[in-house]
Amino acid sequence: MNFATSPVLDLRLPLWRSRLLLVIFAAGFAALAVRAAYLQGWNNDFLRAKGESRYSRVLEITANRGRISDRNGEVLAMSTPVKSIGAIRDEVKLDNAMLARLAPLLGISGEDIRKRIQSTESDFVYLKRQVPPEIADRIAELRIPGIFQNREYRRYYPGGEVMAHVLGFTGAEDSGQEGIELAFQEQLAGKAGSRKVIRDRMGQIVEDMESIKPAQEGKDLILSIDAKIQSHAFSQLKAAIDENRAKAGAVLVLDVSTGEVLALANLPSYNPNNRAHLAGAQLRNRVLTDTFEPGSTMKPFTIALALEEGKVRPDTMIQTSPGKLTIGRATISDAHPLGTLSVSQVIQKSSNVGTSKIALTLTREDMWEMFNKSGFGSIPSVPFPGAVSGKLRPHNTWRPIEQVTMSYGYGLSVSLFQLAQAYTIFARDGELVPVSFVKNSGVVPGRQIISAETARAVRAMLEAAAGPGGTAPKAQIMGYRVAGKTGTAYKQEGSGYSGHKYRASFVGFAPVSNPRLVVAVTIDEPSAGKHFGGDVAAPVFAKLMEGALRSLGVLPDAPMQPVKLPAESERIEESI
Amino acid sequence: MLARADSGRQNPGEYDAGLLWSSLLLLGLGLVMVYSSSIATAETLRYTGGRTGFFLTRHTTFLAISIVASLFVFQVPMRVWQQLAPWLFLAAGALLAMVLLPGLGREVNGARRWVSLGIITIQPSEFMKFFAVLYAADYTVRKSALMHSFKRGLLPMLGVMLVVGWLLLREPDFGAFVVITCIAMGILFLGGMSGTWFAGLGVLLAIGFAGLVVSSPYRMQRIFGFMDPWADPFGRGYQLSHALIAFGRGEWFGVGLGGSVEKLMYLPEAHTDFLLAVIGEELGFVGVAAVILLFAWLVLRALAVGRKAVSLERPFSALVAQGIGMWVGVQALINMGVNLGLLPTKGLTLPLMSFGGTGILVNCMALAVLLRVDWENRALMRGETL
Repeated sequence: MNFATSPVLDLRLPLWRSRLLLVIFAAGFAALAVRAAYLQGWNNDFLRAKGESRYSRVLEITANRGRISDRNGEVLAMSTPVKSIGAIRDEVKLDNAMLARLAPLLGISGEDIRKRIQSTESDFVYLKRQVPPEIADRIAELRIPGIFQNREYRRYYPGGEVMAHVLGFTGAEDSGQEGIELAFQEQLAGKAGSRKVIRDRMGQIVEDMESIKPAQEGKDLILSIDAKIQSHAFSQLKAAIDENRAKAGAVLVLDVSTGEVLALANLPSYNPNNRAHLAGAQLRNRVLTDTFEPGSTMKPFTIALALEEGKVRPDTMIQTSPGKLTIGRATISDAHPLGTLSVSQVIQKSSNVGTSKIALTLTREDMWEMFNKSGFGSIPSVPFPGAVSGKLRPHNTWRPIEQVTMSYGYGLSVSLFQLAQAYTIFARDGELVPVSFVKNSGVVPGRQIISAETARAVRAMLEAAAGPGGTAPKAQIMGYRVAGKTGTAYKQEGSGYSGHKYRASFVGFAPVSNPRLVVAVTIDEPSAGKHFGGDVAAPVFAKLMEGALRSLGVLPDAPMQPVKLPAESERIEESI
Repeated sequence: MLARADSGRQNPGEYDAGLLWSSLLLLGLGLVMVYSSSIATAETLRYTGGRTGFFLTRHTTFLAISIVASLFVFQVPMRVWQQLAPWLFLAAGALLAMVLLPGLGREVNGARRWVSLGIITIQPSEFMKFFAVLYAADYTVRKSALMHSFKRGLLPMLGVMLVVGWLLLREPDFGAFVVITCIAMGILFLGGMSGTWFAGLGVLLAIGFAGLVVSSPYRMQRIFGFMDPWADPFGRGYQLSHALIAFGRGEWFGVGLGGSVEKLMYLPEAHTDFLLAVIGEELGFVGVAAVILLFAWLVLRALAVGRKAVSLERPFSALVAQGIGMWVGVQALINMGVNLGLLPTKGLTLPLMSFGGTGILVNCMALAVLLRVDWENRALMRGETL
């Protein structure tokens, strides 16, 4: 170009400078493209991993805990959905105004919320669990970044205190802590699933990153319990405890043919839906975890052994005069001298002397074996937490006086559960039935302990004991023949016996012609004047048995006549 | 004119269709991506009232206003722009000063970049970028004979730019300062300023920038965040690390339009400064490459239009066209470089695409001027007189 003649000369706009700029720009854009290709095509594994760690999270899918229902399908325990509120430490944005709105909803002070979030070691922390859905919704409306919610379940027990000791309850992690909830934890709990999700910064789930591992729902459980009988049992027990100003009490209702527990109640009880103020005494499932000296309720086992071994027959006469028996330095006595009694009458009148004399004809080994086979001294084979064995010392440690006292129920300890189960021997023609808390499909075979003949003989004696002329006429009910044995025992205090604290028990079954139910009742420390099993426990047995038989539709085996109670002067006082 | 188009063998056409279409594509893609990236933000922020279309409505309105304004701007002959250039530059300077006045300037996130004019709020630094192009072009043409004189050629421009730079840094708007400095220097460079001075000035500026960066902890922080975002990914490196994650998640073909996770409140400024990261995540490398190519094409065409004007002996138009090309090019380069972690975080939007009323309006007006230069070039080539 000829600059001398060109006007462009003056302007000096050299085109090479424009082209240089073009090259610089092209280089710049090319660098961007290379960088983008590197980030997106080659280095993206690292970046995606970083991304995942920022906004992906593995959420647990809680498994719905199985429902527990009674034998007729009535729901006894179920899970209702609630929320747990948590915070992700690095993402929480909480100004003071928000904190002031969040704190009252959670019921935690704002200061505590901050402390909890800051002090956590892991990347997230639960602020509150088991929050009702409507509160959780209001928290969600605040849209606080980093505050998230998880679905979980809260256990609800419609039966409240009535069912408390059967069912137990679950803890914070929805795992069983007591009772059936603990015993059948594995079956009820199911298995939690998980899902890996991407969440936005506010904690809302955007999408699933991989396939969801679904939760395995817990299995439902149908108990042997009959809610109607259970509720009846609880209210009868409560009435008896109030009336006798007793410290505690327990009842157990067993189905003789199936071994099913139809009712199990203890007092004092608690409300499993609100366990804020729980004392140990309320929690104790006395039926299974408390042992006591059974007293006279043991006599039928001694007599049954003597009959079985042919040492005596029901009509064998035993001299009990003068109502005292001295063995070594110890003296055994009856409440009143009863004179000469048949073996049947020994049971009917509950003579300590008579029973002792019969026991002296037996060996220690045989007695131990009889008691042991009947289930005493070993932990019952039910999957129930805390069930105890009671105490039955090895026979080679028994002194002669101990063999005698054990024959009428002192020197060993049993639980009410063991006692009730053992009485199925007499109710079932000599078979001990295995007991179940889960509904069975029908008759369950038992283990033959004594012959049917012996069992029937003892049954007749027990019927007499529960009739006029026996120690527990108050056990009778209209329309059904009942059989059973009272037990009244001094309570052990320290190394000796308290002279004024008693435990009154009654174990029996009905209808005698074809026994259907065993009912065992024990009342601890009645303190309203009456303390004999026949006065305190037998009436509970009667009411409970009558209600249960009618509710089960069991055919009456006795004329429908009002129960006749003997006059006060004719009453037979039990020997303690 | 159609008849002429049919008859002419080397018919240059009425306007540069490639330039127009690349601009319209960038505007259109920008609209879609602004909506996509702003939905979650709009839903969450308080001042949007939870309306997901808050930013879409605004951006669409800005676009409509900008296109109408551009049609008017296109009608204005370059000769008029040249006459108005000093006055427009003065007006922009006044606006910049207003930003700093209490009561007029609006402060957002610690920066005073906006000024309220009755019902509308504008960002004077955007206007300054445009008018700095016009002014520098006019200055260079007026002083073309003095381009080798330090006192009368370089010093006056230097003085003016120091005032503007001081105003911008008071806001502070470091990004606009860099862009305007590049525009002014670029135009002086194209205008034939002595290469030696240029090199000397370059060194001086480099030292100056370094001094500014070291003296201000806030800029230091930005520098360090960019060097290694993973050293402090929840503090200084937070924004950049999320931008990089977005690109990584996008891979070659993207997670699909609307599928970005980063825009869900993780990546700050997703619909403004970090729009490219969302494009990278949703449309993948393909989307990013398309944006880079469109900008590259735009710059290429702008420089070509400028060179054509040089050959047509229209120096002012030539410098304006190339100045606009440099402006869009530099701002796009810096913004995308920031997004991709090649440059320190600046606070610059992506021209024609990011959300922002003044930015879009001024970008569109500038492109209208560029198309006007081209249109006048073609008219002259056809032998018409303007």
